[in-house]
Amino acid sequence: MAAQCRHYAMCKIDYLGTGVCASGQMKHYVSYYPQGRMDIYAALACELIPVTDALLDIADTCDLCGICDKQCHFYTEMKPSLVMAALKDYVACYREKGGNIEKPRMDNALRKLHSVVGEEWASNDPAILVTYADDPCPLTPMRMPRYVVLPRTRDEVAGIVRLAREWQMPMVVRGNGGSTAGFVFTDGIVIDLNRMKGMEIDRENWVAVVEAGVTSYDLQKEVSRQGLRINAAEPAATVCGNIICSGTFSTWINAYGTAADNMVDAEFVAPDGSTFRLGEKTAPNLFAYKHEDVPSPGICTKAHVRLHPVTEDEEGILVPFSSFEEAVAFARELSMRRIGIAIAVLGEHYLSAFTSPTEDLAVRVRPALTELLGIKYVVLVIGDRYAISAIKTMGRPVIDNALFRILALGLPRLAADEWQFFIRDLDWNHNAFELLAKENMRPLLSAILEPSPENIASAVNDPDLRDFYARLYAKPEMTDLVWLNTFRIVSARMSRHKHMFALILYVPLDKQQLIDDIMREFAGIADRHGITHHFGFLTPLDMGKRAILEYDYYCNHRDESDRKRIQEAMPELVPMIEGLCRDVKGVAWMKHIVSQGFSRKEQFLYT
Amino acid sequence: MRISRDTIAGRRRDRETIFFLTGGTGFIGSHLAVDLLKNGHKVLLLARPRNRLSVRQRIDQLLDWFALEPRHCKNLEVVEGSLDAPNFDLSEKDFGRLLHDVDEIIHCASNTSFSERKRAAVERANIDGLRNVLDLAAGGRCSFFHYVSTAYVAGRKDGICREELLESDAFTNVYEETKCRAERIVSEQCEREGIGLSVYRPSIVYGNSRTGRSTRFSAVYYPIRTILFLRDLYDADIRERDGSKAREMDVRLSGNGFLHLPIRVEVSEKGGVNLIPIDYFVDAFMALMEECMDGGIFHIVNRRSVRIEDLIDYTSRLFKIGGMEPCSPGAFIEKPKNALEILFDTYLEVYGPYMRDTRTFEDQKAQAILSRKNVVCPDFDFNVYSRCMKYAIECRWGTALFQDKCEGKPSL
Repeated sequence: MAAQCRHYAMCKIDYLGTGVCASGQMKHYVSYYPQGRMDIYAALACELIPVTDALLDIADTCDLCGICDKQCHFYTEMKPSLVMAALKDYVACYREKGGNIEKPRMDNALRKLHSVVGEEWASNDPAILVTYADDPCPLTPMRMPRYVVLPRTRDEVAGIVRLAREWQMPMVVRGNGGSTAGFVFTDGIVIDLNRMKGMEIDRENWVAVVEAGVTSYDLQKEVSRQGLRINAAEPAATVCGNIICSGTFSTWINAYGTAADNMVDAEFVAPDGSTFRLGEKTAPNLFAYKHEDVPSPGICTKAHVRLHPVTEDEEGILVPFSSFEEAVAFARELSMRRIGIAIAVLGEHYLSAFTSPTEDLAVRVRPALTELLGIKYVVLVIGDRYAISAIKTMGRPVIDNALFRILALGLPRLAADEWQFFIRDLDWNHNAFELLAKENMRPLLSAILEPSPENIASAVNDPDLRDFYARLYAKPEMTDLVWLNTFRIVSARMSRHKHMFALILYVPLDKQQLIDDIMREFAGIADRHGITHHFGFLTPLDMGKRAILEYDYYCNHRDESDRKRIQEAMPELVPMIEGLCRDVKGVAWMKHIVSQGFSRKEQFLYT
Repeated sequence: MRISRDTIAGRRRDRETIFFLTGGTGFIGSHLAVDLLKNGHKVLLLARPRNRLSVRQRIDQLLDWFALEPRHCKNLEVVEGSLDAPNFDLSEKDFGRLLHDVDEIIHCASNTSFSERKRAAVERANIDGLRNVLDLAAGGRCSFFHYVSTAYVAGRKDGICREELLESDAFTNVYEETKCRAERIVSEQCEREGIGLSVYRPSIVYGNSRTGRSTRFSAVYYPIRTILFLRDLYDADIRERDGSKAREMDVRLSGNGFLHLPIRVEVSEKGGVNLIPIDYFVDAFMALMEECMDGGIFHIVNRRSVRIEDLIDYTSRLFKIGGMEPCSPGAFIEKPKNALEILFDTYLEVYGPYMRDTRTFEDQKAQAILSRKNVVCPDFDFNVYSRCMKYAIECRWGTALFQDKCEGKPSL
């Protein structure tokens, strides 16, 4: 289990209202969070690291409170406290046997780093280093850094950068310590910005000013409290890091735009250790874009992020479809007509994974959705009452939030066999969801599905967690499509069964055939290499002219043959995508946007 | 050269005929196959594996269900193949053997879906599948083709439907349409090839009128199953919970032990549902086959249709369910449909044309033989209804009949 940590850093944010690992919040190194302890235990099992003072401290500071079980189980079904307890047992035994405690060697570089950030915040202890050495990306091997440094201020960041430059030592930056794409490894210095938690809301200017360690979840929570919203990244991603790496894409980009659209200004430490603000006349032009991999412009230490108004009448709605083409056309039409704020086409894989608290239930729900109800895709829309009303007049059956709540809390019964005959045997000319979507059917549907927090919690096999899930799902936000899209806490469930390797492209939305061809090509390559794959999502932007398309490959990152399959697929994938970017207007690859996330979207969508 | 009618009759009498039967794992086909075997005929049965069951397992389970004695099974040979594929996906040698051996073909295989969404699959089975079987008939020494069709090839019309090839361009659903097209195809091909042809047109076939046994529980069974599901659902809500879901739908327990389910079902002044039991169909088929060496088109139907009002009455009496009542279309204007009624309305959208059927199926040709052989269609009365429904419940609407069920459906 220890080796299966997804590195989503969800244990570093209080996304379920359970609180967060106390030692992690105090010590800040990822090593002190459950994610780090999982890595450490896995490394010990492989004899990659010795027992050190830091390792003992990391084990000792875990009080086995069990918060991590709830947080981790929510999206992986794992209970890390088993690993935490095993780590503590191991350390206790080791001490009892009088095992050697290795002291990492102090060197001049570390001394200088201490002089910049303080002794507590730079380390070369292997127990610390190993938690910054690997992630589930199947393309990158483990790389142990020499030092991990946690600066508190921009000037401290600049000081570290200058030292690294002086020593000609490679350096990478991590936001929240979460990592899945293999970008943040080095044998030099890892700068972890987790301590930079400053956050200010400037309502007059509709701007939130955040330091580099602030997560999307924490900022969204704060601005939401004030009746506002930001374009949301994955909850555990840092705001600054996510902008620079991806421009921040979400279902909200339909209305809020992406990349430079959502940012007013930003502060950087340049590769030479100098600092600049993006808004300065003399600043490097980060708004420009090249369709190729480019080096990082520096370290973003602060961002001024745009805030968006929220009306009280917003509601989420799902419009079911039995074909991808119809769903995409509908999403495009909504975007063109400026109906709705957040829009996305989701497939049955996401829909079942997001709504099910366990993979077993997700697997059982899938055929119920697709074969029984005929729901292969949905167009998700968040909109105000005018938008929702407009959609309801467009002549398609819809799943409004009230019906979504019935389905979501009644999911175990939805997947059960006993009632399905009357849909399956009906032999209707229409899709069954048209019957269920009828307003008058709800009392019957409710009687059949028995939607309740206890019902959905009953799907959880672990009896110790059922009460927790029942309490969790009693919270209205857990079945509120607006809240779920605002905070995005269920999207991590897409990787529950295996780590997800995402292929993300911007595509021209008026070229349906091209999108179909791309999807077919992705699927074909995956099939040829024996890789599990599913459509992820598609969100229109810029009035339906373009869209972002995610297609996911799945890989057990601890299974060498699975990793190899992805590695062998890359020589087919890369030229294919590069060719599209070169030959087809409107296609841009997210891989190129990494390090160019501050560019104007027009620069990568229309060039 | 095909053999003469006399030779066909002689071979049948001497039990030398080899019947090739399609749809033998289906409801009608399996009953025909078993009856042929019981009467000492040789049967070659085309079937394919399904779910996790091999062909042999499927057949063995069926034969167990029929309690067919081993001595009757010796004349059964199962051919594993697919009706959808040319030559049934058999090797040249195996298909060649069929061409050489098969004397007569009984084509029961059919996709009975009404849904337009399943048109491709229905056409594949009912048209393409038929053509593949006809290729066997034309290419080999088959002398007689027995085609199991449906009375509803008549399509949307009122009045009398004759026992002849029909012209219609208005059908209730894709099933009717493809079966009508299929009749033309089979008729033309058999005429061209000099193959004898009988077309059997049953109305809606339910279980055995004497035992209630069946392997299929759709059509007339569906609304009863749904009502019982709703009864159990609300009964549990009242007895085991706070009864709020039941109250919301005005479902309640009456003093006489009846559960009140407020369902109004729209009925028409005329018309009903034409139901025949499987035992009658089999007897009729065998009688017609034996007697009509020149072939023909035969309606195997019930001269007395059952009205929706009767079905409501039977259901109410047998299951102690009140509140169900027939109503005129205007009733829903005064008081809109509740969820239960919407559900039944959806059912009637599919089966309404058969439940409120005003067509009369002429059956002189069939009756000329059947009455002579004393083959009489029993009424679908309360006793027959009770037997059939009790068996359906006993075998949980087919889900408990066979091993390795898939998604609650019988696996065969």
